Amino acid sequence: MGNEAAEHSGELIHYLATEVAPGFVVHMQTMYMTWITMAIVFMLIFFAAKNPKMVPSGVQNVVEFFIDFLNELMEGQLGIKGRKYMAPFIITLFMFIFISNELGLLPQVGVHWTSPTNDVNTCFALSLTVAIGVHIIGICQKGFSHYKHYVSPSPAFLPLHLLDELVKPMTMALRLFGNILAGEILLIVLYQLAPWIVPELWVMFSLVIGFLQAFIFTMLTLTSFALAFAHH
Amino acid sequence: MVNINATLIAQILNFLFLVFILAKFVYKPLLNVMEARKNKIASDLEAADTAKVEAEAVKAEYAAKLADARQEAQAIIENARKNAQAAHDKIMAETKAEQDQVVAAAKEAIELEKQKALADVRAQVISLSMLAASKIVEQKLGSEEDKKMAGEIVDSIINK
Repeated sequence: MGNEAAEHSGELIHYLATEVAPGFVVHMQTMYMTWITMAIVFMLIFFAAKNPKMVPSGVQNVVEFFIDFLNELMEGQLGIKGRKYMAPFIITLFMFIFISNELGLLPQVGVHWTSPTNDVNTCFALSLTVAIGVHIIGICQKGFSHYKHYVSPSPAFLPLHLLDELVKPMTMALRLFGNILAGEILLIVLYQLAPWIVPELWVMFSLVIGFLQAFIFTMLTLTSFALAFAHH
Repeated sequence: MVNINATLIAQILNFLFLVFILAKFVYKPLLNVMEARKNKIASDLEAADTAKVEAEAVKAEYAAKLADARQEAQAIIENARKNAQAAHDKIMAETKAEQDQVVAAAKEAIELEKQKALADVRAQVISLSMLAASKIVEQKLGSEEDKKMAGEIVDSIINK
């Protein structure tokens, strides 16, 4: 997938922009990697949940570690009711971003691995899903009183809240995008400058960054959703 | 490098699809098991606490019973000792009384024997002294008056 095309395009990071339908340009490289990520996330959680045991082991143990970690964060931000409601979304979000971020760090053997999150479209897709999701869940949970927080503590804060509404998804998306794209570009550059050892050190560091960015994105998502579950 | 295009929409759909699939088919059993385990651990801990409290109560009860039993045993031993002492005292007193009685009887018998012996001796001495006196004066002194006189002499000698 994409090795030859990458060489032909002459770009450092390439997306294989393809017009799949008139007017619809899609980055196929991002799509392939997203589907692989989805498959990995699905398999991971599927095998963990296939025959769940009271005493966990193997994949179940690993997945439960992440879920437990996220459950605690969710309970802190959303409360017990919010956790039960949001758990599938938040766990999937975290696992998707985490696997995405690590995907681009795999050895480039046979397949040109990239992170789906190195495409700004993916990052905006996730942050917009969250931003719109907050409104939907907020209205579902509290009706239109959800929008009361726009005029708190006083109506003078309305412009600030509106600006926040606009800026929050942008910062979330661009932080994730910037970190992952920069990591991959630096990895490519390092492979060209010092092919041995140095890139591997950077890969190790990037693995941690991948986890950290997934955690930050999830944490910010939780603070956004906290508004939808908060009781005034 | 930073074009926003239809990929955005495709990615939203991809992500929502993944969330939907996982939420619909996968998460429930796993989350249920985790919840069940959490509840089980909580209830087990609670049960352990309850059992501990119960065990402590039972232990305290046993300790109290043991103390009671010990006290009772002590009381029984004390009682037995008292009884034994009383029996001992009683036997000792009885023995003493019996012994005194025996001694008194013996003394009485001795006294009686002594009196009897003295009477015998007296009679013998009287007749002996009579005989001796009659031999001395070479005449037979047989009158009652003589006997009386001799008796007075002998008495005075014995009682000296």
